[in-house]
Amino acid sequence: MSHAADTQWPRWEVLKQDAEGKPHQAVGSVHAADAEHALLMARTVFARRPSAVSMWVAPAASVRSFTAQELAEREAPTERAPAAGAPERYLVVRKASHRRSMAFGELVGEVEGANVDEALAAALARLAGEPVLALWLVEARAVVRSDPAEADPWFGPARDKTYKQQSVYSSRATARQDAAKGVPR
Amino acid sequence: MTVTDRDPLAHEDPRRLAEFEARIAAGEKIEPGDWMPSEYRRQLIRMISQHAHSEWVGMLPEGAWITAAPSLRRKLILIAKVQDEAGHGQYLYHAAETLGATREEMVDALLEGRAKYSSVFNYPTLTWADVGMIGWLVDGAAIKNQVMLAGCSYGPYSRAMVRICAEETFHHKQGQEMVRRYAAGSPAQRRMAQDALDRWWWPAMMMLGPHDSDSPNTPLLKRWGVKVKTNDEVRQEFLDEHAPELLEAGLSIPDPELRFDEATGHWVHGPIDWDEFWRVVKGDGPMNAERLAARRQAHEEGRWVREAMAAHAARAASATGAVPA
Repeated sequence: MSHAADTQWPRWEVLKQDAEGKPHQAVGSVHAADAEHALLMARTVFARRPSAVSMWVAPAASVRSFTAQELAEREAPTERAPAAGAPERYLVVRKASHRRSMAFGELVGEVEGANVDEALAAALARLAGEPVLALWLVEARAVVRSDPAEADPWFGPARDKTYKQQSVYSSRATARQDAAKGVPR
Repeated sequence: MTVTDRDPLAHEDPRRLAEFEARIAAGEKIEPGDWMPSEYRRQLIRMISQHAHSEWVGMLPEGAWITAAPSLRRKLILIAKVQDEAGHGQYLYHAAETLGATREEMVDALLEGRAKYSSVFNYPTLTWADVGMIGWLVDGAAIKNQVMLAGCSYGPYSRAMVRICAEETFHHKQGQEMVRRYAAGSPAQRRMAQDALDRWWWPAMMMLGPHDSDSPNTPLLKRWGVKVKTNDEVRQEFLDEHAPELLEAGLSIPDPELRFDEATGHWVHGPIDWDEFWRVVKGDGPMNAERLAARRQAHEEGRWVREAMAAHAARAASATGAVPA
């Protein structure tokens, strides 16, 4: 089967913020034709439940990933001439624990660098002494963010859909009482 | 590719393999980019893509009942549940992509009938009570498996499972609630609930996979922390939870040999018809052809949307001079 006319869309990494004041977390990826589509897909896939107030998407090509093993085995960058032009800003996403989690890691800040090596060195210097099981550098200018002014219409409706919560379903005892009382089903 | 009579690890660097197994023994998660044996990658792509396909095909038996739901509440619940299955497929396809599988390869394998998915979705949903029974039994069995896989050594698969388990518990509860109410309802409702149990009990028992003695991949998958428990161990957990609850609801389980063993504290079931299981897995179940036809039709009918989205994105990119992502 040829994919020339019907390939899947590019992949975008999704960062979701569960509540104000909490860091954005890397939750997975979606395929989408463009940034606006990627945000819509991200909401549909990752925010069917209430815990979301903001979402960011970044094209997969703008994300550099390093595991602790890759960092340990990475050859020291060779000396190079200072890069011309303005330094690039990168978001730093860190995985800090092997504990069970829904998210790969969370946003710990931003660094600048004329290239990825410089940005990586800056990120590792900032995290010196802290656990780094894996690290992402995300080109900040490639990140597209949901509109904070639209947060309520975007994420609010999930709060009213209480039937998605297991706690609303009656226990064995209340089911028997309901049945005895002839509660409509 | 078959590796049955060759050691799949023969070509691996022994030092790297030992380091890898030590990491797993220490409870570390393996992440994309880490060294892993090619057999670990191959087995994970096989398992995760089959799991993703199962989520997608699993939308079909229940989706057919959305327009016939008996109340608005039941309709909202069912729509939300089917939406969740679509999302769960997305989480899992994403996890498989981190291992180098592409979405195109996986989707094509499903549409062309080359991929396996859970045998249980190849049975028909004949009455509304089947929607409840699927929630209670099929999602109940799936959750047992998924809770186990949440402890998997591969980070992206584990994370998909943690997210799925958190959402899927509502699928199980709504089905349990529905069936319990029907089982305590009018004679017609009780008959409908019992008929659904008669038809779904064995497919649910089978969906947890062949006995350990017929499951050649299990020892290696356990050694590598991909599976934390065997098929028979997970099936026993399912049985021990569901058998007493179904009986308490006033239903009869269609297994004349079913009994509680006081000595072990476990329920014991009669023989499973594995000929039926393999027939259904290999494509000869009651609904295999119809499920794939429905999936292909949905894919074809979405083609113009995909083309329009791609054209819109290309035009917007050329207008701004941006490079497509």
